[in-house]
Amino acid sequence: MTAATHSEGKHLGPAQYVMVWAALMVLTGVTLAVWKTDFSYAARVVIALAVALVKSALVAIFFMHLWEEKGVARLVLVVSALMVSLLIGFTLLDNATRFPYANPPYSESWKDVPWQKDAPPMQAEPPPIRTAPRSQAEHPAAHKP
Amino acid sequence: MHTDAAAAPNRLAHHFPDMKTQEHAARMGMWLFLSTEILLFAVLFTAYALYRFLFPVGFEEASRLAHVAMGATNTVVLITSSLTVALAIHYARQGENRKVVGFLAVTILFGMTFMVLKGFEYHHHWVDGQLPGRMYHFTGLSGPGVSMYFALYFLMTGLHGLHVLIGMGLLSWVAFRANRGEFGPTYSTPVELSGLYWHLVDLIWIFLFPLLYLL
Repeated sequence: MTAATHSEGKHLGPAQYVMVWAALMVLTGVTLAVWKTDFSYAARVVIALAVALVKSALVAIFFMHLWEEKGVARLVLVVSALMVSLLIGFTLLDNATRFPYANPPYSESWKDVPWQKDAPPMQAEPPPIRTAPRSQAEHPAAHKP
Repeated sequence: MHTDAAAAPNRLAHHFPDMKTQEHAARMGMWLFLSTEILLFAVLFTAYALYRFLFPVGFEEASRLAHVAMGATNTVVLITSSLTVALAIHYARQGENRKVVGFLAVTILFGMTFMVLKGFEYHHHWVDGQLPGRMYHFTGLSGPGVSMYFALYFLMTGLHGLHVLIGMGLLSWVAFRANRGEFGPTYSTPVELSGLYWHLVDLIWIFLFPLLYLL
C-alpha cells in the first residue's frame, strides 16, 4: 500500500519529454518545409499525413504513457485507430464505386458526365495571404463553358 | 514529499486491493472515454475525407484561404503545452506540487494563447465572408465544395476549440488541488487523467492542422 504507484522502472524523465518535444517540433518543421517544395501534390499530401501519423504516435507513446502502460489499456487506442480507418475507408469506397449521379451534383464523379458543362466554373483568384502556385487554367473544373 | 499519504483522506475504494490497481482501472476507463472522443472526431474526419474526395479542386483552393502562419503557431503552442502537461504529471508523481501548479499554469496560458489566435482566425474569415453554406459571400473564390470546406473548417476547429476550453477547465481544477498539496507517489490520478485529455486534444490538432491548412 505504501509502495509507490509507479515503480516499474521504465519511467520517463523530463529529459526524455524534452527530446520528444524537440522531435515533434522538427517534424512540424518538416511538414511546413515539404509543403513549400515543388514535389508533386500527391507526394506532399502523403508526406504530410505520414508525418502527422508519426507525431501522433510520439504523443501517444511517450506523452500519454502508452510506453509504460500495461495490459489492455494499450489496445484501446489501436482498436480506435483501426475503427476510424474502417469508417473512412469504407465510406470512400462506397462513394468511389457509386453510379456517378448518386453523388452530389458537380462533384468529381460527375466529371465525365456530358452535362457537367452546366457546372458553375471554379473561379479562383490568388488569395490575399498566399500566392496561388497553380494558375487557374490548370484546374480541371476551371474550363469555360 | 510524502505528506499526501499521512494528511490526505484514504482514497482507496473498498473494491480495489491497492492504489496501484485502482489507478490502473482509472487510466483504463479514461482510455475508453478517449476512444469515444476519437470516434466523435472520426465522424468529422470522415465527412472531410468524403467531401474532399467529391470536391478536390474546391477543397484545395479553399484551404489556401486558411491562415497558415497562425495555424502553424498554434501547432507549436499546443505541442509545447503537451510537454508542460507531461512535466506536470511527472512532478505530480514525485509529489512536487508547486512545480505541478507552475507547469499547469503555463499549460493553461498556452491554451489561452491558442484560443486567442483561433479567435483572430475566425474574425478574419468572418470579415472576409468565408463562412459555411449560404452565409458564404467571399468574392475571391467560388465554386462547388468551397463553402463545404468552411462548414467543415468551422465544425472541426470549433469542436476542437470547445475541447481546449474544457481541458483548460479541467487543468485549472487539478492545479487548484495541486496547490493544496494533494498529489504524490501514491495518488496522482486526477493529474494523469486530465493530462491524457489534454494530450488527446493535441493529438487531434496534429491531424487537423495539415488537413485544414495545408492540403
